[in-house]
Amino acid sequence: MQANQITGIAKKNEEEGISLAVNSVPAVGIPRAMLYYRYGILWEHFFQTLGVSTMLSPPGSRGILEAGTKLAPDESCLSMKMFMGHVDTLIGKCDSIFIPRYSNYGYTELFCTRYEGIYDQARNIFRASGQRFITCNIDAQNGSPEPKAFEQFGVELGFSARESRHAWREASRALKQHQKAEEHAQKELASRPGMKILIAGHSYVLSDAYLGKPILDYLDAAGTISLRADAPEPETARKVCAKFSPTCRWLVSEEIVGGVLMWKDQVDGIILVSAFPCGPDSMTNELLVRRIKGIPILTLVLDTQSGMAGIETRIESFLDIIRFQKGEMG
Amino acid sequence: MNVRDAFLGIDVGSISTKAVIIDEGNAILAQEYIWTEGNPIGAVKKLLDLLEKQFDREAWQIVGIGATGSARRLVGSIVGATVVKNEITAHAVGTTTFHPEVRTILEIGGQDSKIILVENGIAVDYAMNTLCAAGTGAFLSSQARRLGIDVEEMGQYALQSTHPTMIAARCTVFAESDLVHKIQMGHPREDIIAGVCRAVASNYINNVGKGKKICSPVVFQGGVSKNVGVVRAFEDLLRCPVIVDDNGHLMGAMGAAILAKRSLKRTLFDFSVKNMDFVTRDRNCGGCSNNCEVICVYRNGDLIDFWGNRCERGAPRTSP
Repeated sequence: MQANQITGIAKKNEEEGISLAVNSVPAVGIPRAMLYYRYGILWEHFFQTLGVSTMLSPPGSRGILEAGTKLAPDESCLSMKMFMGHVDTLIGKCDSIFIPRYSNYGYTELFCTRYEGIYDQARNIFRASGQRFITCNIDAQNGSPEPKAFEQFGVELGFSARESRHAWREASRALKQHQKAEEHAQKELASRPGMKILIAGHSYVLSDAYLGKPILDYLDAAGTISLRADAPEPETARKVCAKFSPTCRWLVSEEIVGGVLMWKDQVDGIILVSAFPCGPDSMTNELLVRRIKGIPILTLVLDTQSGMAGIETRIESFLDIIRFQKGEMG
Repeated sequence: MNVRDAFLGIDVGSISTKAVIIDEGNAILAQEYIWTEGNPIGAVKKLLDLLEKQFDREAWQIVGIGATGSARRLVGSIVGATVVKNEITAHAVGTTTFHPEVRTILEIGGQDSKIILVENGIAVDYAMNTLCAAGTGAFLSSQARRLGIDVEEMGQYALQSTHPTMIAARCTVFAESDLVHKIQMGHPREDIIAGVCRAVASNYINNVGKGKKICSPVVFQGGVSKNVGVVRAFEDLLRCPVIVDDNGHLMGAMGAAILAKRSLKRTLFDFSVKNMDFVTRDRNCGGCSNNCEVICVYRNGDLIDFWGNRCERGAPRTSP
């Protein structure tokens, strides 16, 4: 085992195989935002397998969003502002903050440019803090596909190439398992009787405690069953999307569009949730609204407004319309 | 003589406050329309006072109260509403009751605009403006002020125009600068006003009505439907007649009253509410970093309702 090149990164206790942080602070901090909600399981398992201790920023809140709004560039999307707020909560609390750079998985599998620039942006915004940032560069077009990127990242952390490859494989398997379980749970939900609403949007919007959760809570309280377009297995969803629109551009958007198409026939209505201003969503939501017929669709755009009133009015009336349609009202 | 049942519907919007009292056959017993003037509680008290004068308390008793509009929660708790419903549902219910043949309801209010599609008397789809309030009543008021006329006169001016000026309508800010430019270039005033009306209609069709099939008969309501210039613009753009009901502004309140009638909840309404003292206070919870804004409503010093908190921690103690 090589010596750790980054101070404070946990060393592996070779005899017992358990992880120990060298300092009293955790080795790696992970912002609970953006692609964490898509790849977080992969990252956490990768570090766990290597015996590196991690910490997660707290769930999203108004305070975190306000801090992030002050830090992020004005024109950033709401999710980017939230992300910078999360990074802010980790400053000084961990040895290194992990912000991977997701660029592409190949020539047709592209990520939104926000995820491409996110590491450099964060490092620049917090340059005066003295905080260390670490990244993993996933850029298949430039010879760094995901397995290789994580192998190199592991080596940079001071582990052997073999250990790193093993950790990525374990992490990858854990992510796949999780995705299968999610799809299974969703199928179970879909088979239940009752009014079902499909919620489509980026996982980091829907799963955020401040942005998406109030919407899901509202639907729960209204007695409807919420299915999520971001739940199915990504590969399957992307294949479905490719048939619908061969030119849909962004990888994560393809997954969401595919998810909508896979579940739309089993629900009574679709809610498209977008964080302002999201470029990919502005294309895909438009596509969905124009092409999906015969099922009520509601588009919700979230911004920094603190009240829930506008959102509640829209969801309440949307549910009423569905009930009208089903003859359960009026 | 028997005292018969009646139902009160109140619609408190950002600009105007509307109320009706109907009997069991949906006939209007009393109606009123006043400006909210940024004071929903005051407006409702004034409204109740005006309604009471039109209302025969010997012959009728109000047994159900419906509240709608953007201040529905606040007003609902003050008048003790039996039904509190969003304005879209209320409008759909009200309009389909009076125009059972309607297929499309266009509605433009002070800060909201929405479209409701109806099939066989049942609302099947709708859309509402998202974040942006472009092309709503607020835009027309500010442009009327800029042109030095009353917003009520705009329609008449617009009808005099034979050649409406093209105004970029995508965004209120751009529309305004475009409008100023056209004024300075010397376009006649009536053409500009007709252009503004046309901009409101085309903006609505391109944004709120995007991707929706607009079928005739079309009913247009909300404050902006009182502007004949916008009505004409819609007729030109949709190539079909646009119906504006004389009671169009009351449809939300009617819907609320009808919903109150349909619900089984009954309570005896007392006009003395208008003499009670209502105070609202907002406080920031501070229990966590969400720092929710909690609104508390007090009647004669007693807390009667609160909202705005995302969790139990934000619930106020019982004493003010």
